[in-house]
Amino acid sequence: MRRRKLELMSIASAIIIWEITARIINKKIILPSFTEVGAAFLELVSEGELYRDTITSLNYFAIGMGLAIAVGIPLGIMMGWFKTFDKAVDPIIEIIRPIPPLAWITFAIMWFGLTKYAAGFVIFVGAVFPILVNTYTGFRNTPRVLVESGKVLGCIKNRDLIFRIALPAALPAIATGVRVGMGVGWMCVVAAELFAVSTYGLGWKIWHWNSLHHMDMVLTYMLVLGLIALVIDRLFRYIVQEWWLKWQTGVVV
Amino acid sequence: MIIQPFKIIAAILITGIILVSGCTSTPVQKEDEPTGLTELSFGYQPSTHQIAYMAADAKGWWLEDLAPYGITSTRDYLFPTGAPEMQAMLAGEIDVAYVGSTPPLSAIDQGLEAKIVAGAQTQGSDLVLATDLSYESPQDLVGLKIATFPTGTLQDTVLRKWLQDNDIDPKEDVTILGMGGANAITALASGNVDAVFLPHPNPTIIESEGYARVIVQSGEMWPNHACCVVLVSQELIDEHPDIVEQIVKTHIKATQYIIDNPDEAAQIFSDDIGVSYDISSQSIQDWDGEWVSDPNIEMDTALEYAKVQYDLGYTDKLLTKDDLFDLSFYNKVIAEMGEE
Repeated sequence: MRRRKLELMSIASAIIIWEITARIINKKIILPSFTEVGAAFLELVSEGELYRDTITSLNYFAIGMGLAIAVGIPLGIMMGWFKTFDKAVDPIIEIIRPIPPLAWITFAIMWFGLTKYAAGFVIFVGAVFPILVNTYTGFRNTPRVLVESGKVLGCIKNRDLIFRIALPAALPAIATGVRVGMGVGWMCVVAAELFAVSTYGLGWKIWHWNSLHHMDMVLTYMLVLGLIALVIDRLFRYIVQEWWLKWQTGVVV
Repeated sequence: MIIQPFKIIAAILITGIILVSGCTSTPVQKEDEPTGLTELSFGYQPSTHQIAYMAADAKGWWLEDLAPYGITSTRDYLFPTGAPEMQAMLAGEIDVAYVGSTPPLSAIDQGLEAKIVAGAQTQGSDLVLATDLSYESPQDLVGLKIATFPTGTLQDTVLRKWLQDNDIDPKEDVTILGMGGANAITALASGNVDAVFLPHPNPTIIESEGYARVIVQSGEMWPNHACCVVLVSQELIDEHPDIVEQIVKTHIKATQYIIDNPDEAAQIFSDDIGVSYDISSQSIQDWDGEWVSDPNIEMDTALEYAKVQYDLGYTDKLLTKDDLFDLSFYNKVIAEMGEE
């Protein structure tokens, strides 16, 4: 209860400082005040714009994340379990991995057109590597004793060892990978929407209002982007802790 | 091995300080500059609409004419469209902008202090449609993807108004995608959009590649519509009216020069922007634009744009003539020229 109070006070004082600073500067273009942003937010909600933008952005995000999970986890498992496969694939991944996701925008348009799949692709590139690397590390760090006890107890086939022993052991690492991937992927949403794949979307609206110099709108969309990311992250953490890693309860604490 | 955290922290701090000091050293020098105005910065775009600026620059007229007022150097910035150009002006980076007559509207509405002191040109943008699509009337555009300059730019405003006039809802019946000229051309070439609406020389560039053709010129959409203007910051108007007056004079001279010498205008454009001479010259032949310097010619449509943008919700207030124009410089220069 005391923690809640402290949290509220911290947010409230940040808002007060923001409002006062904005009033001192008194130039909406440099820093819109909290009340101006609040008014812009209410206007967007009442017009239904914000809802449509959020759905559009979440659609891109779902495409990108779905693909990143579908590619990142299996590839991470293969690389973590089969040494030869790892040696063959690793150099290619290491070359592609450091390329910033935004650099892919041109090819995204050429390959997928000005469609939601182009935006999804950019998000995919941002999200896939954290998932891949964490899955890989999770598999690599599977305690030898678990694998050996499994073998002693008759779990010999690769398939059984992967799905019954290594995968559960690697789950915490994979969960972390997905979480980090979602964070990076969400950041790519704004960039992905920059190249006009639609006329809706949270990121696109930032550029739209930026072109018209309405900084209160820009800031509103920025805050909405942040809040949605927070909600997604909390939701994911809750799901993971309640279901995916329920068995972990009591292991450490 | 003993871990020495303080050494690591010290190393990180030192690296950080070095990096930060590298970034902050520039602005310090700026403040040392003398207070008198010695440098002017111009903003312009890679369009045949704004050759007057390029001509005065290529001929050295800006420096030559402004030297008596203490200007020793000029700097220019090339912008893909008007929206980022206005952003730069809002940030105080530009004194004089050659820009379409609509980007200043939303910028002035949101606090930019600047005025239009001269015209630059009217009309001069074309709607270009992919060759495999047929076109007989505006209704044929329903369902298509059209790329044009971003929200609030002149092309965006004229296109939306024209579609609306033809009973096509610009939000629901077509998809208008905002982007710079180069991206729009790539998008059309790769089949990602069906049409583009761009200022010259872009339509000529596209036609020369053969995958699309001009279907409507902007003068047919909106006869004699205002296009580019010369916008000057209020600070320059207030503190150095003599310089602004000379800028208008030089602009009038350059505009007359390119009207009289279109071939040389094409060459100047080609040298400045890097588009071939043949394309530049072809573009000046093909376009329906007209170079002007009289701001009065641009006034009526500029005020109509203000109304359109207000109705679209782009501006918070309906801008008036006094918010946008300062005709005193042009009128004074013209009166003086009449006396001579």
